Amino acid sequence: MPVHHVMGNEGNYPYLLALWLLPLAGAIVNWAFGPQLKSAAGALGSAAIGVAFVATVLMWGAATQSVPSTGGVNLVGAHQTLFSWLPGFDFGLLMDPLSLLWALIITGVGFLIHVYSIGYMDGDNAFARFFAYMNFFVFAMLTLVLSDNFVGLLIGWGLVGLASYFLIGFWFFKPSAVAAARKAFVLNVVGDVGIMFAIFMIFASVHSTGFGDAFAFAGSYNTGWLFAICLTLFIGAAAKSAQIPLQTWLPDAMEGPTPVSALIHAATMVTAGVYLIARCAPLWSQNQDAQMLVGVIGALTALLGAILGCAQWDIKRILAYSTMSQIGYMIMGVGVGAYEGGVAHFFTHAFFKAQLFLGSGIIIHALNNEQDVRRMGGLIKTMPFAFVAMLTGVIAISGIPYLGSGFFSKDLVIQGALQHGHPWLYAIALITAGITAYYMCRMLFVTFLGQYRGNVDPSDLGIRHPELAGTSAHAAEHDEVHAHAPAWLMNVPVGILIVPTVLIGWLMFGGENSPWAHFFAQQFPHPALPAAPISETLTAVIAFALVIVGIAIAWARYGVAPAQQNAVERLRQESVRMPAVLTNAFYFDYAIDWLFVRTSQLLGTLFGRFLDPQVIDGAVRETAFSAQWLGTLVRSFQTGLLRTYAFLLVIGATCFMVYYAVAMGAAK
Amino acid sequence: MIVLALVLLPILAGIIMLLIPAREENPVLAKGAGTVIALIEFALALGARDSEFSLRPWLSRPFESSFHFGATGISFWIVLLLAVVTFSAILAMSVPRQRQFVAQMLLLEGTMMGVFLAKDLLLFALFWDLMLLPVFFGLLGWGEHPATAWRYFIYNFAGGLALLLATATFGVLFGSTDVIGRTDVHVVGSWVPWIFIGFAFAFLVKTPVWPLHTWMPPTYSNTPPPMVAVVSAVQSKAGLYGLIVICMAFMPDYLKAYAGVLIVLGVISLLYGAVVSLVQNDTKRIVAYSSLSHLGLIVVAICSFNAIALQGALIYIIAHGLFSAGMFLTLGYVEAREDTRSLVRLGGLGAVNPKLAGALCITSLAALGLPGLAGFVGEIVILTGVFQAGFIWVTILALIPIVIAAAYMLRLFQGVMNGPEVEDLPVRRDLTWLEGIALAPIVLALVVLGVNPHALTTFDPAQYNATQTQVAQGVAR
Repeated sequence: MPVHHVMGNEGNYPYLLALWLLPLAGAIVNWAFGPQLKSAAGALGSAAIGVAFVATVLMWGAATQSVPSTGGVNLVGAHQTLFSWLPGFDFGLLMDPLSLLWALIITGVGFLIHVYSIGYMDGDNAFARFFAYMNFFVFAMLTLVLSDNFVGLLIGWGLVGLASYFLIGFWFFKPSAVAAARKAFVLNVVGDVGIMFAIFMIFASVHSTGFGDAFAFAGSYNTGWLFAICLTLFIGAAAKSAQIPLQTWLPDAMEGPTPVSALIHAATMVTAGVYLIARCAPLWSQNQDAQMLVGVIGALTALLGAILGCAQWDIKRILAYSTMSQIGYMIMGVGVGAYEGGVAHFFTHAFFKAQLFLGSGIIIHALNNEQDVRRMGGLIKTMPFAFVAMLTGVIAISGIPYLGSGFFSKDLVIQGALQHGHPWLYAIALITAGITAYYMCRMLFVTFLGQYRGNVDPSDLGIRHPELAGTSAHAAEHDEVHAHAPAWLMNVPVGILIVPTVLIGWLMFGGENSPWAHFFAQQFPHPALPAAPISETLTAVIAFALVIVGIAIAWARYGVAPAQQNAVERLRQESVRMPAVLTNAFYFDYAIDWLFVRTSQLLGTLFGRFLDPQVIDGAVRETAFSAQWLGTLVRSFQTGLLRTYAFLLVIGATCFMVYYAVAMGAAK
Repeated sequence: MIVLALVLLPILAGIIMLLIPAREENPVLAKGAGTVIALIEFALALGARDSEFSLRPWLSRPFESSFHFGATGISFWIVLLLAVVTFSAILAMSVPRQRQFVAQMLLLEGTMMGVFLAKDLLLFALFWDLMLLPVFFGLLGWGEHPATAWRYFIYNFAGGLALLLATATFGVLFGSTDVIGRTDVHVVGSWVPWIFIGFAFAFLVKTPVWPLHTWMPPTYSNTPPPMVAVVSAVQSKAGLYGLIVICMAFMPDYLKAYAGVLIVLGVISLLYGAVVSLVQNDTKRIVAYSSLSHLGLIVVAICSFNAIALQGALIYIIAHGLFSAGMFLTLGYVEAREDTRSLVRLGGLGAVNPKLAGALCITSLAALGLPGLAGFVGEIVILTGVFQAGFIWVTILALIPIVIAAAYMLRLFQGVMNGPEVEDLPVRRDLTWLEGIALAPIVLALVVLGVNPHALTTFDPAQYNATQTQVAQGVAR
């Protein structure tokens, strides 16, 4: 048995336990006493997360404290032992800078979204159930990022998937929501299974599932074995973070209420893959092939998501594809070894994407669940606050220098790809930045400029199936008149988010001397790298030039005066002429459906309807029980319970005695 | 004495209830009496750990056989599971001719107690045959198609006969059948392969394993819910229990020799059960085929000869017992309300029956292996062991049904509970208090064991250690 490596300072951390378990307590109370709590459920759920955030902040000191002894891999953080299933399956909580960062976002941004939800979900029949699920999600996500071993991580991994399933299918009377929830869950189980396989390989090597043991051994794995571990871990990451080819569930997941999209399908859960790879940096750093694989998949996802983002009309689906694309950046960053960059982009993205979703939620809420941007337009006049919120978000995601946080983090990722020797990925990332600016400005201009088109006939806008296109599908169920919660409940969280959306990127300013680099100084491996052929400043200039091109095209198509005046006709033209390959999202859904879903259904039908009753059962009947005596036997039994009992016992005993005698004879 | 009471109390109570003249029917009284007996059984089971009872020998020629019961190791946990599931099943049931049905349930409990507590092979084999009868009568008297009863009986009685023959031969060769749990038992001779095949056949039919499974889906879908809950939860474990305490303990060489075949059959069961579940429309048949899939995994675990996999097998035996019982009971409640089991007819019940939906949700999530519930613990510990034992491809193939399980379990849950409310469905009341109390221990155990199965993994009575030693020897060879 190898030495047991524990990461972080061993100790008892009440704040750590409190921040982990408070959301669970909130979930249980809201679930059990929902009907009695009524509207207090929202306040209770938000308070649980708010206090958890305070506890997280109080853990800052312990989480960033260096470990005096050597021997472990990670030399910083706090470790709390919990319990053990059996030797090798030991559970504990670990809080180091990486998990601290995630916990801060989960509880901090999570708290703001909870408060926002009080306003957004006001009047829903299942108000308390919503907060029970949201609190449960926060607990599950904290389990994921605080676990000190792969099994604990996998438990959190599965439970966030469950929370996501519940919340996507929150309006479970809608068949589309039910289908989307199931699709998300099943595709995520594919990822869970990948991580399980990695656990088997790690356990077979080190007889433990702990991070400390797995990473201490990092240099000693066989290369192929280590690549297989990274590959299977990445299957998990790809499923959860919507990377090619497991991305198809994310756009459908927009069936959930908008705060859910903001918290789970933008800010936190979908970035779990980024966390996993950053957490396993010691493994990835040992394997070039694994880095290459993850970098390429990340870059392709970034590009693909951006291209598909240009073809969407549902405001939430536009944001969903942009999320997929931005996570592609993060995955590419942590994949190639630019861990600080990838994690930085997670950090800024959590703010600006949450803000974009919450801003879109204000619009959707005000327009009575309208989500199609073609039926918006001119909202700058009626909703100036939403416009400011969306504008700052668009500036941040597009990476306009110094004006938004996204610029700083995206720059780290793009430059990181070049520094780690991947010029092709660098190029893809730059092009994607331009496309991103285009489709985000497209959304902004179509939504806010020109005239309001909500009263235009959908067919004039090229909307062929209003019930399928994300337009007011569930409006009917919710249009009963009720007093809305005060608007500030939704506006204040968005207003608060504007500050980090604009400013938080400055933490990453200053290269190796930035607060960001100091924070992670002991977290990630820092191999010496040759100087990049293109300087960081030049990269920023190229990126900005491409962003300007993207914005200019968007402006020319949707912003200029003639475009605003003829918006209805132009949008109709664009809808009708949209290439099928884009509206069908490159046919990934069809491929998965035909290759896996239909194949297993076909096999199931073949086995269940034909093989079982005809072949197997038939053969057994033919060979063993076709004799005539069986029929008479059956008839003779149809009388009286007790008599049958007795008779069967006699048969049993007789058979026993006969063979017993035979066996005895044989033994002599 | 406690173990003796565990076996005899329900059998005697069952016989007395059967003998009461039919004129004095009182369904509530019958159920009440059954519930009290089941509660006493549960209390006894809790206190039965490591207790033994032996009257030896009750048969001395041609081999020694003792009236020997003991609740050691794995037996204790299965007996506890049986007590819990029987209590839950009786508490909230409602069937015609209730008194006779309660009597059958008690007889089923008592005879199965006998199977899992017997320390003597002959006793084990006799109780094995006896435990088939209550189910047979349950199917004959309360099932939808009497033909199913015969199919159940013929398949399982064929297995029981093989078991009896193998036991007798074993006794003659070894001189005693009072052997379960002993570590010094080695049987040799040219008859041993036949003994092994006899045992293995009985166990594989009972589990069941593909292609011996065709009796199981009709049996499970036709048996009344309270009884099928007990059958799927506990009776299906008799075969796996036998594989561990008899085949693996006394004939490890033969089990190892046939392990390849058994693992292939286990993997086929795993995949076959999963894909067939995917397209069934009868809710109980979905769970039946999923059982085929899940139990195949335990067969693989046992035959991989790995201590971790075996530990996982024990966890999964208990976990599967809990979630399959929970699913059959809940689906029974649904069927009792809506008069149908067809996914084509059902839908949208969750909106008006939230507690019922919650119950079905938790049990089906445990069945699909959701991390945090007991099924997941069993799966991951088993497969960790199977992988460690070197069966890499088996592990990969065994992971596929986990994905399929997510699809068919959610299809089942959503098909019943989600979607728009179905117009022509008589949607009746939500989960009653009694039904809630019946499901509570099952759900609680699923959660507790899912978070920390420590209680199941650290017990070390001689019995389990013995098998583990055998495993170690097997691996060393």
